[in-house]
Amino acid sequence: MTMVLSALEYLGYILIFPGFLFCFFVGLLLAGIDRKIVAKMQKRVGPPILQPFYDFFKLCGKETIIPAAASKTTFLMAPLVGLAGLVVLQMFIPIHGWAAFSGTADIIVILYLLLIPAMATMLGGSASGSPYAGIGMSREMVTVISCELPLVLVLLAVGKVAGGDSVTFSFSVISDYQLANGSLILHPSLIPAAIAFLMIIPGETGNHPFDTAEAETEICEGLLAEYSGAPLGVFKLAHAVKLLTLSSLFVALFLGGVGTGIIVIDGIILVLISIVITILTVSLVHAITARLKIEQVFKYYWTVVSGLALISLVLAWYGL
Amino acid sequence: MFEKLINESAAKSPWLFHINAGSCNGCDIELVSVLTPRFDAERLGFKLTGSPRHADIVVVTGPVTKQSLPRVLRAISQVPDPKCIVTMGSCPQSGNVFKGSYSVCAPLSQYVPVDVDIAGCAPRPQAVIEGLALATKILKEKREQK
Amino acid sequence: MSFFDYHHFPIYSIMVLFLGAFLIVMFGKNKAVRNTIAFLAVSASLACMIALVKPVMLNGEIIAYWMGNRVPAGGYAIGIALEVDQLSLFFGLLIATAVFVSGVYSLQYMDRDDNVPQYYTLFLMLAGGVIGLVLSGDIFNMFIMVEILTFAAVALTAFRNKVYGALEAAFKYLVVGCIGSTCILTGIIMLYAQAHTLNFAQLAALIPGNMNNATKLAFALLYIGFSTKAFIVPFHPLAADAHGAAPASISVLISGVLTKSGIYGIIRLTYMLFQTMNLGSFQFLLVFVGSVSMFVCVTMALAQHDFKRLLAFHSISQIGYVLTAVGLCTGLGISAGLYHAMNHTLFKGLLFLAAGAVLHETGTTNLDELGGLSKKMPWTTALFLVGAFSISGLPPFNGFASKWMVYQATYQKAAETGNIGFLLVTIVALITSVLTLASFVKVSQSVFFGRLPAKYENVHEVKPGMIIAMSIFAILCVLTGLFPGFVTKNLTEPAANAVFSAVRYIDAMMGSGYAGSVMGDNLPVVSTVSFTQVGYWAPVSWLLILCIGLLAVTIAAVLGKYDRVSEARPENVDPKYDLFWGGEASEFSQVGGGDLFWGFKHNWRHYFGFMHDLHSGVVNDYSLWAIVALSLAVVFITIVL
Repeated sequence: MTMVLSALEYLGYILIFPGFLFCFFVGLLLAGIDRKIVAKMQKRVGPPILQPFYDFFKLCGKETIIPAAASKTTFLMAPLVGLAGLVVLQMFIPIHGWAAFSGTADIIVILYLLLIPAMATMLGGSASGSPYAGIGMSREMVTVISCELPLVLVLLAVGKVAGGDSVTFSFSVISDYQLANGSLILHPSLIPAAIAFLMIIPGETGNHPFDTAEAETEICEGLLAEYSGAPLGVFKLAHAVKLLTLSSLFVALFLGGVGTGIIVIDGIILVLISIVITILTVSLVHAITARLKIEQVFKYYWTVVSGLALISLVLAWYGL
Repeated sequence: MFEKLINESAAKSPWLFHINAGSCNGCDIELVSVLTPRFDAERLGFKLTGSPRHADIVVVTGPVTKQSLPRVLRAISQVPDPKCIVTMGSCPQSGNVFKGSYSVCAPLSQYVPVDVDIAGCAPRPQAVIEGLALATKILKEKREQK
Repeated sequence: MSFFDYHHFPIYSIMVLFLGAFLIVMFGKNKAVRNTIAFLAVSASLACMIALVKPVMLNGEIIAYWMGNRVPAGGYAIGIALEVDQLSLFFGLLIATAVFVSGVYSLQYMDRDDNVPQYYTLFLMLAGGVIGLVLSGDIFNMFIMVEILTFAAVALTAFRNKVYGALEAAFKYLVVGCIGSTCILTGIIMLYAQAHTLNFAQLAALIPGNMNNATKLAFALLYIGFSTKAFIVPFHPLAADAHGAAPASISVLISGVLTKSGIYGIIRLTYMLFQTMNLGSFQFLLVFVGSVSMFVCVTMALAQHDFKRLLAFHSISQIGYVLTAVGLCTGLGISAGLYHAMNHTLFKGLLFLAAGAVLHETGTTNLDELGGLSKKMPWTTALFLVGAFSISGLPPFNGFASKWMVYQATYQKAAETGNIGFLLVTIVALITSVLTLASFVKVSQSVFFGRLPAKYENVHEVKPGMIIAMSIFAILCVLTGLFPGFVTKNLTEPAANAVFSAVRYIDAMMGSGYAGSVMGDNLPVVSTVSFTQVGYWAPVSWLLILCIGLLAVTIAAVLGKYDRVSEARPENVDPKYDLFWGGEASEFSQVGGGDLFWGFKHNWRHYFGFMHDLHSGVVNDYSLWAIVALSLAVVFITIVL
């Protein structure tokens, strides 16, 4: 009986909170808020907040065309794998010390799991056979490489501060440290790392000005050029969920001390902070910048952002 | 319920794909002006896409020159159903001042079923928005008929 | 001892391979006979190794086997000996597995070549040489085996001598390989002059008392000699040429087996023969060379236009991980290094076999010409993706488990020593991993996905025998990735323990108490490796969650009519199913694989330009590099240490 109950409990985690249902609603909500805020900044009325929901359901009702040149299985499975990978990743990120599946992954695992959605998009795009997708894939990969170095530096710095002399990669240690000593963002040596992480978010999610991979005006949406109907909707959904994932990762790494210990309230706090982070890092940046060229994206991440993260790492290393 | 959600959403998220079939660029500018802060078609969910695979509404401008006709037809055929074809400006509807030219194939409705014609040379943004709003209604009807 | 006593198994596993080689020379004209002999030889060798797992790996017995029962007399070991401890067996198992799979693959892969009997002869000689090397308890025997395997490998590199560049590659390999072999021989002579013995165990006991400049010079020479076998920097260009020219089944052996023999030699040398040396300083050399190999080779791989050359550079890059981890001198580090060595054999074998399958069907491995093969070769594509995900370290495949241990080991070492250099190694390792992913994305785009060129319309899937061979590797890749706890507990941890237990090794060979009586005060402390999971990674539960998640999405998708798609039918040509190409008729426009990541390469153009100039392809230059590397190693080891 207890077995069945705990199985049901875990199933609930996977399907409802913090799994699919939660990701679906909050992710699309974040995307809607993003579009609204960008519109407001441009003095427009903007679409309704629920617009991404309409988009998703509309795409579900459209025809799915599989080009003759595409490899069908990869083409259809890639969006699902990407979405599932992201949602599973979301479940490992602790919310104020509580994680649905603790002891299953640490920050290095998260670093690699973040590659799975990108990998799914790239394989799906390249399976469509479109030359636009080929170019988009090349750019997406370079963006991933660009974000990887600062992300690594940030994670190592956090691991050093939270672990002290015995460095750690463990999420639970990082989380416990913050519960005991307050959020890591207040730690002086980690402030540059936190800023660097915020700068990584638009790159990882492929938003302006780093959306070279899905540039609709130059390479016809790049990787997604041949996708239509429901698979496209799933990709758009995964893109929205990624906003939530990266925001909650930021919360887990830097704002772990914020919360009450009651999971419902913590969940709401997480959503609120995610909204703030999305507005700060995605919407504001989107409204005031134009798209960069891919080599500029790379240069920006490996100099400015990595530099910030490196400062943090060195400071953390010498215990400041 | 899922079907109902889809039907409701069909009219609320029309994505545009714009084909220039030899236009003088006047209509193209007007189409973009629809998305500016002053008229802001995005509040109705409109969005310009880069690939016909993502589109619901195809907007054709220009008198459909001989050179562009096969390309226009191919791009329109690549739009997934349900789709709506909108001609913008007088050129694709009648040929406008180019009517009778050896290299112009207008009207477009000879080749594909056109759902909405937005008249004018070039049409005003208000007219464009009205036409597109009409197209979304047709889109929803098409979706419901399926 | 009866004939089937397991103490005989080490010699059997070497003997069957050499015996098979000679039998094929005599009776190999007939295809069926030849294939039977080859298959029996490789399977018998693997069976012997597997039979040894229980006594050696699990019970911890060290088998000392004196040929003709010529046990040491008067305190000196004269006879030829085999000695199998957990480390030898670990490498032996890897090698026997790779040889077995490669042998199975060859049965159908080599069906279009001439002179197949010679191929099998050399193949079995190479395999026997490597297994002999890792099981040998005698440093001169080791040298003989090195010679056998080098010459077999050189001949096999030139085997397809009609292919452009094959003879050149073999020539380069021969020249630099001979420099390496000469170094090993000279090193052995100098050791013999100092210690008057060639037996490994006795040398290990005597050298600590004779640490002088001559033994240190010998060490430098042996180190360089084994480096050429492992193809680590600066010997990496040879590997690229050799892999590019050799048949794919041989590439599996060169990358999965031959490089392992080099790594094995370096481990034995560092932790056994010279165990009392100042390892703290020496590990700097290993970690440095390892990190440089890791990074330089992965960037070289990104710039390649040829599938097999790209894989060759990755091979060295992964060996860099192994060397770095092994050089850390911690239990976790060595365990991680051995784990990665094993994984490297599995996934790199798989990838080379997939490249071989592509070559077998299309006749080329040029990334700019290929494309879209996934529609024609679905099995090969799926198996290739398993290999690609493994080498790029995506969870839950095996590359992730071992790389993750490497990161933990280097980062812990950095924290323990407070040395920021090790932190840099962690960062380099993590970046190398994502660059590895990038180049495999490039391969999958330009070989398996993308557009299918018209000339490959008639390509079809490879024969089932080759798919079975690839599947063995793929299944092992997944299993070793899913059960890292099992693998570390039963395979790498005993082997890592053996690395630190020089005294047990010496005593097993020379009689108990020998190490204590000879070495006296110099007796190394037997440090037991306490492997503790330093982080959290439970691949099975992760996979379970992912599967439930994927199932949930798929069910939702099917309910939402996700799978109701419109597809092109062969009979009607509808422009609707063409690719969108700005409205144009779909013309062939493949995105070439050569310079796919120019956004990255543009920023690194000076580095790539420098690397391009450096790798001149001239054998004189490469010999010069070998000499320079030797000089640097000599200076470092004899003066700095």
